[in-house]
Amino acid sequence: MSTVAGISYRMVIGRRRIWLMVLLPAGLIALAVLLRMLGSADERSALMLMQIFGVGTMLPLLGLIAGTGVIAPEIDDGTIVHLLSKPISRPAIAITKFGVAASLLALFGALPAFAAAYLLVGMEAGIAFGFAVGAFAGGLAYAALFLLLGVITKHAVAIGIAYALIWESVVGVFVPGARNFSIQQWAQSVAFQFNTSGFFTKPSVGIGFALIAIAVVTVGAVLWAGQRLRSFTLAGEE
Amino acid sequence: MTAISTPEPAGVIHDIGYRHYDGARLGRGHARVALTRHSLRGAFGLGRSFRAKVMPFVLLVIMLLPAIVSIAGMALAQQRGPVIDYPNFAATMSVVLAIFLATQSPVLVAPDLRFRVLPLYFSRPVTVGDYVVAKVTAMSLALLILQWLPLTVTFVGELLVNPPGDPGTGRYLASMVLSVVYSLMLACLGLAIASLTPRRGLGVAAVIAFYLFTTAVSQVLTEILGSMSQDDSAGWALLINPFYLVDAVQVWLTGASAAMGNSYPGGASGPVAALGIVALTALGGAVLILRYRKAASA
Repeated sequence: MSTVAGISYRMVIGRRRIWLMVLLPAGLIALAVLLRMLGSADERSALMLMQIFGVGTMLPLLGLIAGTGVIAPEIDDGTIVHLLSKPISRPAIAITKFGVAASLLALFGALPAFAAAYLLVGMEAGIAFGFAVGAFAGGLAYAALFLLLGVITKHAVAIGIAYALIWESVVGVFVPGARNFSIQQWAQSVAFQFNTSGFFTKPSVGIGFALIAIAVVTVGAVLWAGQRLRSFTLAGEE
Repeated sequence: MTAISTPEPAGVIHDIGYRHYDGARLGRGHARVALTRHSLRGAFGLGRSFRAKVMPFVLLVIMLLPAIVSIAGMALAQQRGPVIDYPNFAATMSVVLAIFLATQSPVLVAPDLRFRVLPLYFSRPVTVGDYVVAKVTAMSLALLILQWLPLTVTFVGELLVNPPGDPGTGRYLASMVLSVVYSLMLACLGLAIASLTPRRGLGVAAVIAFYLFTTAVSQVLTEILGSMSQDDSAGWALLINPFYLVDAVQVWLTGASAAMGNSYPGGASGPVAALGIVALTALGGAVLILRYRKAASA
């Protein structure tokens, strides 16, 4: 298992992919520093930074890059057959790869979210802690979902951005019901639980629903990915 | 009967039917046109599998939705003006254009890099410059189709419905010119970013990351600076978003309203935005040329 994890880590960290993974949290922290220097290090700015940049932009992108990154290149190159020909259970491969993606999201997503919010407001109003937990919870769901997409289709990244941009951002704004099926909203709902700031408007998704949804999506997607790997066929280049 | 005969000649060139090409040599110009045409078809998935066509055509349909709503609205309410004013169309629909750019740019550049066929291209009369110009032209044309089609459908609809008042001919023509600027800038940027990796998936992620990153940074800074009532700085922060660069130039030159209710700072912002567009486009072009010079020798 540690070999499978090692290969997956190397696939994301050891290649150009890592630059994108580093650039996004670096941008978040740079923005926090800039806002501090501009003298607007208050709860409102911290919330805005976390909601628009942290959860709204960085988290889905990191989820996309890490979630598809742990498996899609292997499928693309066809080297996945070496892994699949070993006597390792396919669901175990899926679970290991999910673990790798989730740990990367914690490192590049949740931790910088905490750092950026801490730079602005310290531990005030539970913003830093709340968004770190929220980003981690949302990261789990994104990692699992995009891992599954990576196994199912070669167009995983394209479908992933269509989901994150059109469904979560555009449809979610106009159709309130669509927010129930938005990982970003679940992450915000989790972050809201730790919040004591009056500037944070209550997310439209309840915490009970959000937690169950995160659990169902995460477990369901990883299990389904494992199931797909059991009957995996390599498709040729189009 | 003698056992030993003269030895067979060691090497024989068999005639296996290769034919010479005796037709006309169409030359470099023709190769350029062919490459552009092939790339443009590829951007819409034409000549590829059904799956490759889904994304570009779904996005084209989404771009046409405001046109349908506008025509229906003008017919029912008998009022002039589409839901999105012509010059603001591209900036308002920026998400769709960005997704198209992100998903289709790697389609144009990734396979040639991945399968290392570029030295084959460049062993023909096609030069690195030709290749880059062909790819940029194809992507720009694809983006132009995505904008010109809905704009023109809306305008024709407006003329046919003919509600009271003057038709927005001037604004329509301005938007047609403006979309050329959008297309060229976006094509250069998108292809430059996508050409940095031979992997399609990563290329898609990188282009969309650029769009989301600039959009989010500009939005965060604008809202926070606005809430500190530093309206001038807030207006400048808008210009971090490349789509609003073109929109700011549009406001500067035509004096029409800005997209999404933006307010750009007055004075120097128009010329600065124009410089920004030129700089971004040139940067994208330079990255492409350097990238392909390197790939040609590899």
